[in-house]
Amino acid sequence: MLDHILSLLIFFPALAAVFGFMIQKESMRVYGVAVSVIEFALSLWLWYAFDGNVSGMQFMEHLPLVPSFGINYTLGVDGISVFIIILSAFFTLLGIGSLTDTKKVKYMIITLLFLQMTMAGVFAALDAIVFYVFWELSLVPMLYIIGAWGGPLRIYASIKFFLYTFAGSLVMLVGMLFMAYFYYQATGVWSFALLDWYRLILPESFQLWLFAAFFIGFAIKVPMFPFHTWLPYAHGQAPTIGSVILAAILLKMGTYAFVRFSLPLFPDAAAFFMIPIAILAIIMIIYTAMVAYAQKDMKQVVAYSSISHMGIIILGTFALNVEGISGSIFLMLGHGVVAGALFLLVGVIYDRRHTKMMSEFGGLAHVMPRYATIFGIMMMASVGLPLTINFVGEFLSLLGFYQQSHILTLLAGTGIIVGAIYMLAAYKKAFFGEVTNEKNKNLPDINKKELFGLIPLVIVAIWLGIYPKPVLDPINNSVKSIVQLMHNKSTTELAKKRIPNLVKPKVVVIDKTIIEEVH
Amino acid sequence: MEIGLNHYLVLSTILFAIGLVGVMRRKNLLLLFFATEILLNAVNVAFAAISHYYGDLTGQMFAFFVIAIAASEVAVGLGLLIVWYKRNGSIDLDALTTMKG
Amino acid sequence: MEKYLYIALFAPLVSSLFSSLFTATPKKLFTGIMASLLIFTSLVSSTILLMYILKGGEPIHVTMMTWMATGDLYIPFGFVVDQISVTMMMVVTLVSTVVHVYAIGYMDHDKGFNRFFAWLSAFVFSMMILVMSDNYAGLFIGWEGVGLCSWGLIGFWFHKESATWAANEAFIMNRIADLGMLIGLFLIYWNTGTLQYDGAFAAFHQLPTDTLTWIGVFLFIGAMGKSAQFPLHTWLADAMEGPTPVSALIHAATMVTAGVYLVIRSHELYSLIPHVGLFIASLGTFVALFAASMALVNRDMKRVIAYSTLSQLGYMFAAAGLGAYWVALFHLMAHAGFKALLFLGAGNVMHSMHDELDPFKMGGLKKVMKGTWIMMVVGSLALAGVIPFAGFFSKDTILEAAYSGNHMVIYGVLLFTAGLTAFYSFRLVALIFHGEERYKLFGIHPHEAYRFMLWAMSPLLLVAIGAGILQTPFFDMVEEALNAHEYHIAHGTALIMLVGTQMFVGLAILYAYKKYANSRVTVPDGTSKMENSFAYKLLINQYYIPYAYEEYLVKPYRELSEVFWQKVDLKIVDATVDGIAGIIYSTGEKTRVMQSGNLSTMLKWMVAGLVGLLSLAVIFGLAARYSDEILTFLSALGV
Repeated sequence: MLDHILSLLIFFPALAAVFGFMIQKESMRVYGVAVSVIEFALSLWLWYAFDGNVSGMQFMEHLPLVPSFGINYTLGVDGISVFIIILSAFFTLLGIGSLTDTKKVKYMIITLLFLQMTMAGVFAALDAIVFYVFWELSLVPMLYIIGAWGGPLRIYASIKFFLYTFAGSLVMLVGMLFMAYFYYQATGVWSFALLDWYRLILPESFQLWLFAAFFIGFAIKVPMFPFHTWLPYAHGQAPTIGSVILAAILLKMGTYAFVRFSLPLFPDAAAFFMIPIAILAIIMIIYTAMVAYAQKDMKQVVAYSSISHMGIIILGTFALNVEGISGSIFLMLGHGVVAGALFLLVGVIYDRRHTKMMSEFGGLAHVMPRYATIFGIMMMASVGLPLTINFVGEFLSLLGFYQQSHILTLLAGTGIIVGAIYMLAAYKKAFFGEVTNEKNKNLPDINKKELFGLIPLVIVAIWLGIYPKPVLDPINNSVKSIVQLMHNKSTTELAKKRIPNLVKPKVVVIDKTIIEEVH
Repeated sequence: MEIGLNHYLVLSTILFAIGLVGVMRRKNLLLLFFATEILLNAVNVAFAAISHYYGDLTGQMFAFFVIAIAASEVAVGLGLLIVWYKRNGSIDLDALTTMKG
Repeated sequence: MEKYLYIALFAPLVSSLFSSLFTATPKKLFTGIMASLLIFTSLVSSTILLMYILKGGEPIHVTMMTWMATGDLYIPFGFVVDQISVTMMMVVTLVSTVVHVYAIGYMDHDKGFNRFFAWLSAFVFSMMILVMSDNYAGLFIGWEGVGLCSWGLIGFWFHKESATWAANEAFIMNRIADLGMLIGLFLIYWNTGTLQYDGAFAAFHQLPTDTLTWIGVFLFIGAMGKSAQFPLHTWLADAMEGPTPVSALIHAATMVTAGVYLVIRSHELYSLIPHVGLFIASLGTFVALFAASMALVNRDMKRVIAYSTLSQLGYMFAAAGLGAYWVALFHLMAHAGFKALLFLGAGNVMHSMHDELDPFKMGGLKKVMKGTWIMMVVGSLALAGVIPFAGFFSKDTILEAAYSGNHMVIYGVLLFTAGLTAFYSFRLVALIFHGEERYKLFGIHPHEAYRFMLWAMSPLLLVAIGAGILQTPFFDMVEEALNAHEYHIAHGTALIMLVGTQMFVGLAILYAYKKYANSRVTVPDGTSKMENSFAYKLLINQYYIPYAYEEYLVKPYRELSEVFWQKVDLKIVDATVDGIAGIIYSTGEKTRVMQSGNLSTMLKWMVAGLVGLLSLAVIFGLAARYSDEILTFLSALGV
């Protein structure tokens, strides 16, 4: 069974969702929770069985689909993807468990289970076509969640979300086809397997074009400035659960794909485009943080703060060294936990007041002290206070990029200032001061169901902030192998310079003469 | 003067042109079918002629295919046409605009 | 001994967690008592460690567990107790214990009683991490942790707009400095490959001066934020919005001295780059004078003491910058004692005056508040540096250090500032405790604070009076660790300096008494000549710096944010995307008429398309066939 655990993780929720159509409306919630608990347990089992000391792929599965074109159903996880899969199962569980009174709750749960399938699929796929299929499939449940359960502008928001990301993915698909074609030209065999592609060394001019094609697909998904405008609409209109999953997992698909595809496939191009992308990332960090400061809607603050944090992830990824990439992957998890929790928290207040405008609130800390405390903890995690999960990621990402450029890191570092500004300002507006609005005077504090969703996130946010080792070690091992691969593959002078060589020159002692053997 | 390939091709072209003009100009659905038949048969003439010229039977075989398909098409098309006529009492093309975008 | 290290470190954490269990419940006296006891445990453990170090024990170094490890980076949770950190631990735990006990009385009627102790103990824990860590990353944890607790405690009365504003201001300003600190950390890591103190210090000797300078500058930027040095000083005065025990503990005795601690801790770095040290000393000297000048006229009791804190921090930086690290540390220690004493005394006054802060509305309180009066007078004498109180020994050594290093400007300014210090301290004492009982005009009935609060303050009183005798043992302890040496000035000169300084200070005190302790003092109403003078306005408005920050930084930032959102994001970036989508939509809309539904028209379009495609095929076919001829033709045309 362990041999097929990835397939199980992918298709069990889908199967359960199909069966879900037959379940009665009343028992659907229990069914959904049961399924997601099993799914989460499976993912924990995956973690338990996962060997953190191995840098390569584990639990590989292989099933030929179109052998003549080298399209295979290939799955596998390494330290980079395994935790995001666990996180997605975790969030599906929390999402379904803390689902508040929603209309057509049955279909919501079915949609969420399908979404879980696509998320697990994206992060486990090792074949470009399979990856692409899951990547695109993930749009469908999200389209439904926004379009069917969203706010007043839901149709506009969902179509924008779908078409924008879809258009980007098409360019990416063209890139994939070209990549396969180049592989065929070079080896005479068709293959869409990622691990085969890793071994292919492309000339720099090819890399630049392919990198650009993949970049558009990934950048829209992340979303990077200036492709980010679909996100505020999607978050603004999506129901709480939609925003939570979107911010926690779906956005990570873009940054994950950068690490999985762009870096190891095109190391020269990655080194070539490092500075322009870093500048985009810095614009993302500062500009969206300022936009977040101007927001009047609490949810939009969190939405724009997501973009700002994604900027740091991108920066860490393009540091092209172990510290930076490990940090960015850790920050993906950290941001998933923190942004997910913040969206859940905004959902709590929205359920009570049916508004997210900060001007409607004020002094909430008097009436809802528990809520204010949890929000405060998550806010501080978002601001990146040490001993919270985000700090580890942000610190390592910035540390990594510092090796590449001092000035740019200094600019990006202002993110910790502007981040504090919009978060503290928002917190002050909503929670501090006297209770001025009559409607807020008797708001009930956070209830058990909401705590079910939030307490685990608080625990994770602090636990991984204090003791990130169990997660950071496997990430570190896999990242090391990727960085070494990139260094070995790179052909240009620039890339050799920017991507560190991890194999230290060995000192060999022969007849008391020390010879430095340089690899 | 011997009648060669070119003559057949010219005939085919003339027939095709007649059919094309018919397709474009006719307003009566029945006559439109006639015009498409002329188009198809123009091609058939060309197929047969070229097939003979190259001594390759593939072209003639293809012509038979075309005839068979044209026949079935006419059968279905005429059936629809009769139903339409029964329902609307007219087979004028300008009245058939339910697909307006 | 490791056991005591862990107790000293984690007792405050336990205290904080224990109190936080009761944050949602009404006031429970035992949270306060429990918290005080736990902090006292920490104090006892620190004392045991101090005894051990004093006896010449080896510094204790423990590594608890790995925190972050990736690539070549390895950061453990490691703690070290050596001469420097044990001094800081003593300062922190002693003042904390006093403040905890005091706060049981001070926060008596506050409904956030339990929450207060949770935050306060959390602060002590962060501070202990800060001083005990054996690496820069651990220091940074404590650094940000104290920032967080300071935010929570300044904004403790979160219903007050001014308090939450001040809390956010403090946090954000500290964040600006933290960025500098972070960059300093990155520089250290990429140049030395480690963030451990011992490893980094050893590697500093091989680094070029340029790099060291940058490291020193960036670390000092971090220190400037936490220790509220110019131009990041405005938050400290505003932080007085917090409860007074907080001001005593955080904004006088411990947190604000973290910057000084950082410089002292990195003395191996700063002694390699004396030019940065000179800059630090100059800035410190400037801040000493600058802050003292603002304290001269301020009409808010707590703000006056805050400015004096700022001024004394300037002294510490001046000493540290001149390489007199042990003097800076000693002044830090003595200052923590008497400044906390002053603040807690001010807290007593505030309590009895029903949160009135304007000393002009007080006067004559000596009769009702004898105990507090003694405390405040001793605190002020120590602050003014009158012999034989604590401040004399620490401050005088700073002056000696400046003099013997031939930094006459620094010496002169610091000497002058000592006079100002004496003046404003006793201006406060005179206004509060002497003269007419002006508070009667406002219908206030003052009363002395609880007796146990006064008793709680007594350890600080002892420090303020007698810390001077600790100077020699202290010197012996840190001599090796801080590379310390005594300052020798010719005997005659030293005597002249001593007498001169004391006379100057004494005159300043007398002048303050003469001016403010008589019955002619009235509550200023903004009409007197002095109040309309330019200098007074400049000082009372804090050199218009907060105004400038608000006007030229905060407002533009807010407006720019608004522009970015409304204009750039919605009108340019998003509009472009929608525009592209709109073009596609409108193309469909425009070409819709082609789809007339008329079969005849559609057939015509079809024919047209067919003809078009055929002709294209023919043209390309011909072009391909006759490409050579076309090329010759074109080249003949000269294309």
